[in-house]
Amino acid sequence: MHCLKILPVAAALAIGAFGQGGFKPPTGPAPRTADGKPDLSGVWQRPYVPDMTKSGPNQQGMAELPFTAWGADQWKNYHAEEGDYAGACLPFGLPRSINSPEPMQLMQSAKYVSLMFEQNTWYHVFPIDGRAHRDQLPTWFGDSVGHWEGDTLVVDTVNFNGKTRLDTIGHPHSDQLHMIQRFSRTDLGHMAYEVTIDDPKTFTKPWKNTRTFTLRPDWELMEYSCEENNKSLWEGRIKVPKY
Amino acid sequence: MSRLACGSRRDTLMLMKNRLFALLIALCAASAAAWAHHSFAAEFDGAKTITLEGTLTKLEWANPHIWLYLDVKDATGTVAKWQCEGGAPNGLTRNGWSRDSLKTGDQVTIEGWLAKDGSRTCNARSVKLPDGRRIFAGSSNPDAKQ
Repeated sequence: MHCLKILPVAAALAIGAFGQGGFKPPTGPAPRTADGKPDLSGVWQRPYVPDMTKSGPNQQGMAELPFTAWGADQWKNYHAEEGDYAGACLPFGLPRSINSPEPMQLMQSAKYVSLMFEQNTWYHVFPIDGRAHRDQLPTWFGDSVGHWEGDTLVVDTVNFNGKTRLDTIGHPHSDQLHMIQRFSRTDLGHMAYEVTIDDPKTFTKPWKNTRTFTLRPDWELMEYSCEENNKSLWEGRIKVPKY
Repeated sequence: MSRLACGSRRDTLMLMKNRLFALLIALCAASAAAWAHHSFAAEFDGAKTITLEGTLTKLEWANPHIWLYLDVKDATGTVAKWQCEGGAPNGLTRNGWSRDSLKTGDQVTIEGWLAKDGSRTCNARSVKLPDGRRIFAGSSNPDAKQ
């Protein structure tokens, strides 16, 4: 008789969800814009990547990061409880925004692409007409320029302020970060994404993650105010980092 | 002979159990990983789990995280006030939650992890509803699974 009790026990251990499920991305060829370029537009569900060394559904990580001595020291001595810039609602920066759990809408014209991150309602807009990087002060999201290599949009970003982290767990980078992103819409419902982290101060050689984004025509972006109810900061459990 | 038969049946049931677990794990991975705007480790201790049974006194439905407030009675009837952080309303909404999913006065059980600062604060992994269902609450713990 006791054999029959196993299944209910197993089911009782599970934690469920209220709803969702059953979504299937649309099928068909990758669309194109009027000028013949791949149309990357849409609301995209991306894998949440809190740790870029880990692999999971739609995410291939880099298991062993090639730290320099400086980078290893930064990683070894990072303690989020002493200062968590994202918890303090400071800008995530481009690497951590693309790793964030909430969806992203990509909007595209002949000259510009905008990545609209639902996470904290941030956006990052940059030219894709082949122009060079601007000469300006370093920023949280860096300075991006894009160009087409065949049907792949290659986005090159430099000039970061070095105040951000690569991912939620806190892997470091420096202000010498050079980030290369490759977006390729493989069909109507999917985008192949590759990100290369090139930071000679932090890593001895460039390394990358590869991912698959899924089109969510059933989703629209929602407002996300990080400051609205950030009790953890107000009550002192999260601290603002000292830069 | 009967022991052998029972063993075969047990093996079959164990196989079914293992498959069910694999299915449950796959469903969990597909529908809800942890969500976070901040580092879990900045605020909470993944080694200190807690289970709280009490009466919901308030649900704050706002970004960057929902907060659940509950009164928890000990054996002597003394009430302690607790607060627990859940996921972001946006992600929870896409996972079927709404601000009406829980009501003031509901008897709930929250499983989660304690804050590092020793206050009566937790990060909620799951909420057990009055109807008995245990629902993933959008924990920011990267190790949290449904």
